[in-house]
Amino acid sequence: MSSLRAGWRIQIRVISALMIRELTTRFGRENIGFLWMMVEPLLFAALVGIMWSFMRDDEHGVGVVAFVVTGYLPLTLFRHVVARSVKVFSVNGSLLYHRQINILDFIFVRFAIEVIGGMMAYVFIATILIGMKLFPVPAEPLFLINGWLLYCLFSLAVSLILAPLSEVSEALEKFIPVTTYIMIPFSGTFNMMSWLPPKVRDIMYWSPPANAMEMMRYGVFGDQVTPIYDPMVPLGISLVLLPIGLALCRRIRRTLVVE
Amino acid sequence: MIRCENLYKSYPMGHGRKKVLEGLNFEIGRGDRVGVLGRNGAGKTTLIKLIGAVEMPTSGRIKREMKVSWPLGFAGGFQGSLTGYDNARFIARIYDRDYREIRDFVEDFTELGRQLKMPVKTYSSGMRARLAFALSLAIEFDCYLIDEVILVGDQNFHRKCHYELFEKRADRALVLASHSPDTIREFCNRTIVLRNGKGEVYDNIDEGLNIYDTL
Repeated sequence: MSSLRAGWRIQIRVISALMIRELTTRFGRENIGFLWMMVEPLLFAALVGIMWSFMRDDEHGVGVVAFVVTGYLPLTLFRHVVARSVKVFSVNGSLLYHRQINILDFIFVRFAIEVIGGMMAYVFIATILIGMKLFPVPAEPLFLINGWLLYCLFSLAVSLILAPLSEVSEALEKFIPVTTYIMIPFSGTFNMMSWLPPKVRDIMYWSPPANAMEMMRYGVFGDQVTPIYDPMVPLGISLVLLPIGLALCRRIRRTLVVE
Repeated sequence: MIRCENLYKSYPMGHGRKKVLEGLNFEIGRGDRVGVLGRNGAGKTTLIKLIGAVEMPTSGRIKREMKVSWPLGFAGGFQGSLTGYDNARFIARIYDRDYREIRDFVEDFTELGRQLKMPVKTYSSGMRARLAFALSLAIEFDCYLIDEVILVGDQNFHRKCHYELFEKRADRALVLASHSPDTIREFCNRTIVLRNGKGEVYDNIDEGLNIYDTL
């Protein structure tokens, strides 16, 4: 028991040291530092705001701005988590000189930073938009949070698989950015399930991000939208992907060449 | 004690595999000072990386019953874009040491002064070696893994290493890869000669060095 606790303590220490290191190498100490993480979503929200002022469109009963923001922010999270997991082991190779650092720590650290940054951006943008009356006060916060967590879990599971694969396959590494764009229609970012014809809906039922997205949208808009979702899909698929990813990471560690 | 049992290591090369180590067996006891000898590409760095658990053996196992340092070499262990102080802070955090103590020791040992505020990638190899040694000496290990790097230091650095490793830490083990017979004679009391993927251990330094001469 005490060795378990000691191990846990080391793990926490290593993770926090790696997070500080990652933040200083990525954002530096000058100017706004970590807040840079929120710049991209903010710029996007501003652009949507400008667009909106030209075309007011409430055809589905919810504001376009709020709808786009609720879809785009999680998608950004997914894209960033996946992009940052590419070649994460060889990029951080010099850290493997220290035995208490595990290769999984690299993925968890980058994932945690993206999740925290993404949540900060979400809260910040939503607060501003609520002030401007462009975003509703979340009707069911619990659904929003659970949907977000499921979305994060799925992103983590995917990155755990792609990180080791990107180390062995040059081709895969090049394809990842393209596939994250191909995923957009299946992510529920720009549409609700209930807007789709039943046949398409049957296919979308199996999309983990689309289900999580429905939950988040219901959390924000409440009864203004009709969510169709099954939390077991993102949860189940992630729980299947996670052990595969962990096994792949373990396998890759055995053959990893460290400079 | 460190025990290497039937160590194999190969790397993918083209369509086949390049075999570097083929069945290595040896032990390093407490206080042993082992010089690793071999031609370029014989597997000295690979062996040190395996002992330090930076890379995993293709097969075989290594039992470590001592606290082994990370391999001190030209690469690895540092984040080039971070400053010397940042690296010291990072090391202090992951090894759970007091940063101020480590900082004081590093300042004293490296004599790098204001350079410690610069990114490590701007350091010369001698300066890197100073920083690497200072950090691992400050952490205190039972066994130090040193890959060549001791040679790039100047006289003053050499003297300091000798003092810190021999007078203050005479009880620690050492694994030192080097091409310099003088360095091996100065620091080691055993040698292991690597050739054709096998290792031969010589408890007599001169015997090992003579074999190395004929390679």
